[in-house]
Amino acid sequence: MEPPKIWRERREKYLALGVLCHDCKKKNFPITQRCPDCTSGNIEEVKLAQTGKILYFTRVSQTAKEMMFYAPYIVALIELDDRIRVTGQITDTKFEDLTEGMKVRMVFRTLSKNGEEGLIGYGFKFVHI
Amino acid sequence: MNKLFQGIIMSKLGIVSYGSYIPRYRISIEEIAKVWDDDPSEIISQLQVFSKSVLGPDEDVATMSVEAARNTISRWKGNPKDIGAIYVGSESHPYAVKPTATIVAAAIDAEKELTAADLEFACKAGTAGMQMCFGLVKSEMIKFGLAIGSDDSQAKPRDPLEYTAGAGSAAFLIGKERVVAELEGTYSITTDTPDFWRREGAVFPSHGNRFTGQPAYFQHIVDASKGLMEELGTKPSDYNHVTFHQPNTKFPHTVAKMLGFTTDQIDISLICKNIGNAYSASSMLGLAHILNNSNPGDRVFMTSYGSGAGSDAFSFSITDEIEELKSYPLTVEYYVNNKEEINYGKYSRYKGILR
Amino acid sequence: MSKREVYVIGYGITKFGEHYELNPSSSASQALSKAIQDAKISKDLIQSLYFGSLVSNRNGQSYIGAEVSRECNLNIPITKIDVGNASGAGAFHQAFIAIKSGLLDCIAILGTEKLSDFVNSSTLEKILGGTIDYQWEFEQGATLTSLYAWMTQAHMKEFNTTMEQLASVPVKNHKNGVNNPIAQFRREISLKRFLDAKRISDPIGRFDPATHCDGSAAVVIASKEFVESHTEIERKVKVVGSAQSSDKIALHHRETLSSLLATQVTSKKAYEMAQISSKDISIAEVHDSYPIGEILAIEDLGFFQKGDGGSATIEGKTQINSDISVNTSGGLKARGDPFGATGIAQIIEIVQQMRREADQRQVDDIKYGLTQNVMGTGASVLVNIFSNLEEDK
Repeated sequence: MEPPKIWRERREKYLALGVLCHDCKKKNFPITQRCPDCTSGNIEEVKLAQTGKILYFTRVSQTAKEMMFYAPYIVALIELDDRIRVTGQITDTKFEDLTEGMKVRMVFRTLSKNGEEGLIGYGFKFVHI
Repeated sequence: MNKLFQGIIMSKLGIVSYGSYIPRYRISIEEIAKVWDDDPSEIISQLQVFSKSVLGPDEDVATMSVEAARNTISRWKGNPKDIGAIYVGSESHPYAVKPTATIVAAAIDAEKELTAADLEFACKAGTAGMQMCFGLVKSEMIKFGLAIGSDDSQAKPRDPLEYTAGAGSAAFLIGKERVVAELEGTYSITTDTPDFWRREGAVFPSHGNRFTGQPAYFQHIVDASKGLMEELGTKPSDYNHVTFHQPNTKFPHTVAKMLGFTTDQIDISLICKNIGNAYSASSMLGLAHILNNSNPGDRVFMTSYGSGAGSDAFSFSITDEIEELKSYPLTVEYYVNNKEEINYGKYSRYKGILR
Repeated sequence: MSKREVYVIGYGITKFGEHYELNPSSSASQALSKAIQDAKISKDLIQSLYFGSLVSNRNGQSYIGAEVSRECNLNIPITKIDVGNASGAGAFHQAFIAIKSGLLDCIAILGTEKLSDFVNSSTLEKILGGTIDYQWEFEQGATLTSLYAWMTQAHMKEFNTTMEQLASVPVKNHKNGVNNPIAQFRREISLKRFLDAKRISDPIGRFDPATHCDGSAAVVIASKEFVESHTEIERKVKVVGSAQSSDKIALHHRETLSSLLATQVTSKKAYEMAQISSKDISIAEVHDSYPIGEILAIEDLGFFQKGDGGSATIEGKTQINSDISVNTSGGLKARGDPFGATGIAQIIEIVQQMRREADQRQVDDIKYGLTQNVMGTGASVLVNIFSNLEEDK
C-alpha cells in the first residue's frame, strides 16, 4: 500500500470508527462525509462496539500477495453489539473451533505486508471470547 | 549523578494504570529440544522454564504494544488525549526507522499533541521509558505518560537462547491522579558491558554465554537494588513483592537470594516459567502481575536489567486506588492461561525462520 | 420512452480458454471483425465502438481501443465502459441507450479479457478485489470467493439448499458446454467430483468457481431504420429490454445475503420495458460464476419461487428444453469467464439460439431470451431481454 492511503485510513482502520448522525440518530460504518441514511452532514465520528458475534465465516487460501503470508486465514461477517456489521478476520482461532453466533472481541493486528521493505498495514481483526 | 530522585518523593507520583499482552501461542522446551536432540529435562532443570510464548503470524511489537496500551487505557477509563508522552522500549521494533510509538499513539486515539519515541536498551528499554515518564510528569511538562516494554525476541536456531526467547508486552500509565502505585524512588546503574549485542542489520543477537551472568545480570541488579534501598533506607523485608528481569526462572531466584529477598516475595512475579523471556516486557509483566495481586499498603520492588548494560530499580507503595483496577478482565493471568501449543514447524513459520 | 427499435445484426466470438500466443488487441480484433462480417455490412457504416473490459489496462497499454481501431482500420469513437467484471453487458446497455436516443444508428460492442497473462493467481485475486468493497472487504481479508461462500451459506441456512442441489448447477452447465464449440471446457463433470473436491472456501469447493480465461466477444446493433435501409442485413434479433441497477457493494451493508436485490430490481425494469413477465422467458444466460450465482439468479429473475432454485435445478427444470433453459451455452462455468467478454458472450448465445444456430444445444419454441450479468457480488446487475417473435427467418 502506498503511504498516503495508509496515512489517510489509519484512524478508521486502527480504531474501527463509524459515524453517528445527529439528525436521524443512526450509526453507520465506515466513515463518510454525510449520513448514508438521511444524507445529513450533521454527523460525528464514533467508535464501533468492540465486541460482537459471528454471522458467517469461511476460509481464504488464495489472496493478494501482501496477505498470502497469513493464508489460510478465516474471514467473517461480524455483527457488533451496536448492530453495525463489519467484515473482518478471526485470528488466533482454529477453523474447526468456530461456530455461528460465537462471541468475538476486536484486536489490533497486521493485515498486510508489502514485501520485506514496504509498509506494514495494521487494522482490526477479531478473536473469539 | 546516578540518583534520579532525591529521597522520598513528597507529591503523589506513580502508576495510574497498567496493561499487558502475551500472544496466544506456546512452544514447549521439550518440542525445541526434540529438534536438536537435546535432553529437555536437563534444560528445564537448568532454566526452570517449561514453555515460551510465540507471536502469531499477524502480530509484531507494534500490535502487542497497542494491545497492552489499550488494556491500560480501558482499565483506567480515562481520556487518551490527556497522554502527553508515549515511549515504546523494544529491541524488535517492526521498523528500523518509523517509530512504533507513533502507531500506538494513533491506535489508542492519543494523536496528536504529545511527544513520543522508541527506546532501545536491550531488556530494560521499557523501564527507561517509565523513568522518562516519571520525570516529565513530576516536572509537570505532561499530565500522563505511557511507557511500554514490548518484545518479539529473536534467537538463532540451536542457540541456548532459543529455549527462552519469548514475546510479550506491558504498559504503565504514569501520572499524579488516582495513583495506584506511588513511586517511592528509582535508581539506575549503567556500564559499558558487552554481554549481549546485535549489530545493525544482523538478524540474530550474539552473546557472551556465561559472561552474561555474574558481571552482567547479577552485578547490575545487585548494585541498582542495593543503591535504591540505601537511598530510601529500606531493606528487602520491607517489601511484599519483588520482580526482576526474568531471562529464565533461575536467575531472578538467585539474585533475589543474593539481595536477601525470600522465595515468597519473588514467586508471584515469575511468569517466565510459562512464557519465557519477554525481554523489554519481562520485569514489567512481573510488575503488572504483582499489581493485580497486591493490596493497599503493600510495597513493591522492581529491578530491570538490560544488556550492554544497565539496571533500573524502582520502589512502589500500593494505594487504595488499586482495588478499582483489579477487576479488569484482561490480566497477565488471563493471557498466561489463554494459550495454544504449537510444534517447531509452525513456530518456524510464525517466526519467519521459514521463508 | 423512445419507441425506437434496436436489433442485434451480427456477432463474433473467439474460442474461450488460454491463448498465450495472442495479445489482447488481436483477440479483440478477431471478435470484432467476425461480428462485422456476420452483420454483412461494410465496416464503414459502424459509427461508434463501445468496449467493456475489467483488466485490459493492466498489462501496459492503458487504452487497447486504439490498438483495436488500427488492427480493424476503424476511425470511429471508441469508448471503454466500466462496470467491473460486468463491463461487457455494461457496454451493451450504453450502446442500446445511444441507439434509443436517436443519435446513433449502428454501434459495435466489444467485450474482451486476456486473463492468462496474469500467471500469479494473487494478481487476479487483487483484480477481483476491485469488484467487491476493496477497502472494507478485500483489504480486511475477504475475497470474491469467500463472499460467495457466505451467500451460499445464507441460502443453505434459509432454504435448506443442499450441496447436491448446488453441485447440480455446474453438472448441468458442463453438460451443456460439451456442445458449445467456443467453450473452454467441453466435458461433463460428475456430481460426485464436485462434492468430493477439496473445499477452498467452505462450502465452495475447488471445482465450483468458473475459471478466469481469455476471450473476446462482439456484437453489432442497429436501429430499425438502419436495418430497413440496408437490405444486405440478413438476420436480426430484437432487443426489447435493457436495464441496469445497483446495490450496496459490501455484503455487510445488505439486508440479505440470500437474494441479489440488484437482480430483482433490474429484471423488473427490463420486464416492464419489454412488457412481459418472467413467465415469458424461454431461455436465459445467467451469471453462474459460483453455483449459488445461478440459483440466486433463477429465483431473483422470477423463474422460480425464492428458495426453490436448488430443487428446481436438481429436478432438471432448468435443462435444455425443460421449463426454462438456463445457461444453454454452458454458462460461465463451462464456457470460461473472461470478465468483460462474458456479458457479450451471454448475448451471443441468445442470438445464436434465436437464429437457430445452436446445433445440439438448440432450444425449441423460443419466445423471449434473457441475459443477466453480475458485477462482483451484485453491486451492479445488468439484464437484457431479446424477442424471437418478429424475427424474419
